[in-house]
Amino acid sequence: MTPDNRVSSAAAIAASDIRQPHGHYDEEGGASAQARVNAAVRSFVLDVGAVSALRLDSCVHCGMCADACPFYVATDDPRYTPIHKVEPLKQTYKREAGPFAPFFKLLGLKRKVTIEELHEWEELLFDSCTLCGRCSLICPMGIDITALIEDARHGMSEAGLVPKALYEKAYRQHRSGNVFGLSNEEITRRLAGIGQEHGIDIPIDRAGAEIMVCTTVEEMDAYPATVAAMVRVLEHVGANYTFCSQAVDASNYGYVGGSLAWEREGIVRIVEAAKRYGVRTVVMPEDAFAYVALRWEGTELYGKALPFEVKHISEFMQEELAAGRLRLKKGNGADGGAVVLHESSQLLRRGGVVGAPLDLLEAMGVAFKRPADHGAFAWCCGGGGGVLENERAQPLRYRVFEARMREIEATQADEIVTCCSVCRRTFDDGVDRFGWDKRIVGLTEMVAAHLAG
Amino acid sequence: MDLLSIARGPALKAALAIFFFGITWRLVTIFLLRHNWQLSFAREGRAGAWSGALKSVFTFRRPRLSRARRSSMEATADAAVAVGSRSWPHPPFVRRTLYGETIGYLYHIGLALVVIFGAPHILVLKSFFGVGWPALPTPIITIISVLTLALLFAALMRRLGSPVLRHLSNFDDYFSWSIVTLVFATGLMAHGHLGGPYQDVLAWHILSFDLLLAWFPFGKLMHAFFLTPSRAIAGYLLKRRGAPV
Amino acid sequence: MTRSESVQTVNDALDRQGISRRTFLKSCMLAASAMALSPLAGSAMAKQLGKMKRPSVIYLSFQECTGCLESLTRSFSPTLEHLIFNVISLDYDDTLMAAAGHQAEAAKEQAMRDNYGKYVLVVDGAIPLAFGGACHTAAGKSAIQILKEAAKGARAIVAVGTCATFGGLPHANPNPTGAIGVSDLIKDKPVINVSGCPPIPVVMAGTIMHFFAFDKVPELDELHRPKMFYGNTIHDRCYRRPFYDAGKFAESFDDEGARNGWCLYKLGCKGPTTYNSCATLKWNQGVSFPIESGHPCLGCSQPNFWDGGSFYAALPTPKWGKAGEGNPSKAGEIAGAAAGIGAGVGLAAAGLSRYRQYRRAIKAAAAAENGDDSDGQSKEE
Repeated sequence: MTPDNRVSSAAAIAASDIRQPHGHYDEEGGASAQARVNAAVRSFVLDVGAVSALRLDSCVHCGMCADACPFYVATDDPRYTPIHKVEPLKQTYKREAGPFAPFFKLLGLKRKVTIEELHEWEELLFDSCTLCGRCSLICPMGIDITALIEDARHGMSEAGLVPKALYEKAYRQHRSGNVFGLSNEEITRRLAGIGQEHGIDIPIDRAGAEIMVCTTVEEMDAYPATVAAMVRVLEHVGANYTFCSQAVDASNYGYVGGSLAWEREGIVRIVEAAKRYGVRTVVMPEDAFAYVALRWEGTELYGKALPFEVKHISEFMQEELAAGRLRLKKGNGADGGAVVLHESSQLLRRGGVVGAPLDLLEAMGVAFKRPADHGAFAWCCGGGGGVLENERAQPLRYRVFEARMREIEATQADEIVTCCSVCRRTFDDGVDRFGWDKRIVGLTEMVAAHLAG
Repeated sequence: MDLLSIARGPALKAALAIFFFGITWRLVTIFLLRHNWQLSFAREGRAGAWSGALKSVFTFRRPRLSRARRSSMEATADAAVAVGSRSWPHPPFVRRTLYGETIGYLYHIGLALVVIFGAPHILVLKSFFGVGWPALPTPIITIISVLTLALLFAALMRRLGSPVLRHLSNFDDYFSWSIVTLVFATGLMAHGHLGGPYQDVLAWHILSFDLLLAWFPFGKLMHAFFLTPSRAIAGYLLKRRGAPV
Repeated sequence: MTRSESVQTVNDALDRQGISRRTFLKSCMLAASAMALSPLAGSAMAKQLGKMKRPSVIYLSFQECTGCLESLTRSFSPTLEHLIFNVISLDYDDTLMAAAGHQAEAAKEQAMRDNYGKYVLVVDGAIPLAFGGACHTAAGKSAIQILKEAAKGARAIVAVGTCATFGGLPHANPNPTGAIGVSDLIKDKPVINVSGCPPIPVVMAGTIMHFFAFDKVPELDELHRPKMFYGNTIHDRCYRRPFYDAGKFAESFDDEGARNGWCLYKLGCKGPTTYNSCATLKWNQGVSFPIESGHPCLGCSQPNFWDGGSFYAALPTPKWGKAGEGNPSKAGEIAGAAAGIGAGVGLAAAGLSRYRQYRRAIKAAAAAENGDDSDGQSKEE
C-alpha cells in the first residue's frame, strides 16, 4: 500500500541531498490523502475552544514572533515564523468553527486545507519547533503560540503525518510503556543493575512510600549516573521514596509527537501507579517534557484533580535545599573549570521551574556564567519537542546549535551544566558532530557530587 | 440627496449598525465557544449533536485545571499586569523589534491625537455624547497628520520589504491598511482643502470612515477588542504555571 | 412701455435718461471686474450693449417672498442695478409694473409674440406641483402652465433666487406644495441658476449683463450657476479664514472669540460648502456680509440648505432625525439594536460551531467504541 504522493523512486531519493532533502515527508498508515485531510480538519476543529479561538483571531501579522524564534533567527527563513507554522489550524478554525465560518465556507474565502499543505506544514511543525515558548513571550497580542503549535500537532498526528522516528518512539511507548519497547521486568532489572554499578540500593515497588520517583529509559541508558544521583539525593534528604515498576519511564512522546490519546495514556499510567501506591509526591526526571506533560496537562487529560504533587527533580532539590534537608558542600564545578548554565526552555518557559538551577549552583558555591540571553530569554538548544529524534531536521537543528555554540563560546566557559536530559542529549550530539571541546554535565549529578556528609 | 448628506446620514447609520452588529457577533461567538478544558465531552455528546451543543452553550462547567503555582487572585492580578506589560517587548527582544514597534506606536498615537484632538472630530463626538473638550491648534494637527501619513506609508513599506511580513500578510492586512490610510488621507485633504470641492472631499472622508466602521468587525482591526482579553488570558495561564510573562 | 419704445437701442435709452457714455462705460468696467474679466472686456461690453436694441425681458414670479426683486431694486444711487433697467426692456413684472389685470397679461402676451425666440425669461420663486399646480395661480392659470408657455419662446431662462433654482423654502421638509425649481420643470431651454436667498444684486445684474453683452450663457458649474460668481466658496474668500487656519474659533455667540472676530465654524458656519460671492462683493454696496456681522453663513445659495440640519450645528456634525430628535438617542437605538442582533447571531454561530464539534466528537467516540485501533492512524472515510 503506497500512500499517495510518496517519493518512492530510487532515483529521486538518490538525487536528493541532505542539504536539499527532496520533498521528503513522513506518513504513517495507509490512509488516503482525503482521509488524512479529514482527520486533520476534525482534530483542528475539536481542539478549538474559546481560548484558542481568541488566540487565532488576535494575530495581527506583526511578525515579531519570528524575531524570538531560534529557528528563524538562525536561518532568516520566513517560513519559520512561529504563527505561520500554525496556518492550517488558523485557516481551518476560521473556515469551520469561527464566527464567520458559514460565510467563509459558502463564499470560498478560506480554502479547505489540502494534503500538500499538510505535507509542507509537517516540516514546519515538527522540524522547526521545539515548543521552547519564546514566541509566546514576545507576542504583543498575548497569543500563546506554543499552545497553538501543540494543537496543530494533534491534527497532524491524527492525519498520520509525523516524522517517522518521532512517531516510532511514541508508538513504542504506546505499545509497551517506554520508548525502547522493554517489558516492566526488563526495566526493573536494568534499574537494579544501575544501582549495583553505582553501589546503591534502588528501591522499587516499596510499599508505604510517600514519594514516587520516575526516570526515563533513555536517561537510564545514556546517563545512568543521573539515575544514581537522583537516588543519592533522595537518600540524603531522608525521603520515603520508591520507583514503581509500572511507571519507571515517565517520558511522554505522545505530548511531543502530538498524539493526545497517547499523551493521555502516558499520564494515566503514571497517575494510576501513583494512586496505587498512595504517594503524595511524584518526582519527575530531568526530561523537561515529561515534567510539563504531567504537571501542566495531567489534570486536564486525566479528567480529575491529581491526588499528588508533581515536581521536577531540580524543583524537588531546590525545595529540599530551602527546607534545610539538602545540605551541600561548596566546590567549583566537577573539574574546577568555568561553568556556564544552559537553562531548559521547556522547563522554564513552559514548566515554570525558574530559579531551581540558580539556587542549587549557588549553594554548591559554583561560580557559573550565563549566556548573554538567559533566564526567561534563554535560547533553546534546538533539540526538544521531538526535533532531536527527527533525522530530517538535523541540518536545521545544527544551524540552531551553531548559534548556541557561539553564544557559549562568548562566555568562555569549559563546562555546560543543564538540568534537562533532552538538552543534555542535544549538547552531547552537538559535541560529537562539531568536535566541540566542551564538557556537558547534568545538574543532578553535580548536586550528588556536592552532597555534604 | 447630495453625497455629503448621504455620507453622514444613511451611510453613517448603516455603518454604525454593521459595526455594532459585527463586533458583538464576533466577540459573542468566540467567548461562547467550547473551552479547551472540556475534552471529555464526547461521552456526554451522546444525547445528540444539537441538544448537546445547545445545552453546552447555556451551562457552564467549571474547568478542571492543574494545580496552579499562584492563587487565583494572584493570577488575576497577573492577568491585569500582563495587559500592560506586553505593551513593550522585553529588553532582550527590543533590538530586533524596535523599528517596527516604534513605527507602529507612533502612527497609532498620531491617529489617536488627530481623532481625539482635531476640532471637527470633537464637534462630531460632541453631537453624540454631549461633551466636548479643547482641540489642538490647527497647525499642530496638520504637522501630526502629515507625520502620521508618512508613518503609515513607512509601515506599508516595511510590510512589503520584510520577508517575514510578506510571507505572513494577506488581503486583510493590506485592505485594513488601505482603509485606514484612505480615511486619514481624505481627512488630511479636507483639512487642507485640497483635491476638489470641499464638500465632496469631506463626503469622501466620511464615506471612507463609514467603510472603516463597516469593515472593522471583520478584519484585523478587531485587535483593538482582542488585545485586552488575549493578553489577560496569557498572563493568567502562564503565570499560574509560574512561567515568565 | 409702448411698442415703439421697446425698439430703441440702449444708447438711446441712456441718452433719454441723461446718463453719459462715460458713466455707462464705468459701470461696464465695474461689472467686468466683478466677473473677473479684463478692462478690455468691460469696454467691449459697453460698446456691444450700447448699440443693441433693448432686449425684451419677461419677469415671472411664483412661490416667492419678493426678496430677490427687492434685492435687485433696493438701491439709492445710480448703480449698476439701476442701469440694468435701462439696458433691458422689462416687458412684464407683476410687482413693478403699474398695470394690472387683463391689460398686464395682454402686455405680456404681446411681448412674448413680438419677441418670440428672443426674449429672456427671468423667474423667481418655486413652482408648486401639488393639487395639479393649484397652489399658485395667476390669471386663472397655474404656475406650471404659465412657466411652460413662457419658456416656449424664451431664448434663455435666468432662475433668480434659491426658490427658483432649487426650490428654496417652499421645497423644505415636508414640502406640502410639492415645490420644485425651474430646471426641474424646463429641460429644453438653457437655464442659468442665480441662487441665493436673496442673490447678491450685482450677481443678478452682472449675469444678465454678461448674457446680453457676450451673447452667450456664461460658464456654469454643475448646478448651472455662473462660475464667475459661484466658483469659490465663502470659506475660500472669507476674511476670517486665517483664524480658521490658526484654529481660533468662537465657541458661542458674543464670547471673547466672537468679539475678536474669530472664525464661526463651530457655531455652524456653512461657508466651506457654500458657493457665492458674499465674501468678496458683500451686501449693501459692499458694507458687510453675515459673517462680518458675526453670524455664521447659512449656506443660502446651496440646494436644501433649509433641510441641512441646524444653522448652528457645525458642518461635520451628522444630522439625524428631525429637530429635537438628537444624534445620541438615535445612535443609541442603532447601537443597541445592532448589538442585540449581533449577539443573537453570535449565539447561533457559537451553537453551530459547538454542534460541529459535537458531531465530530460523537463520530470519533463511536469509532473508538467500534474498536478503532487508536494508534494515531486515521481510518478510511
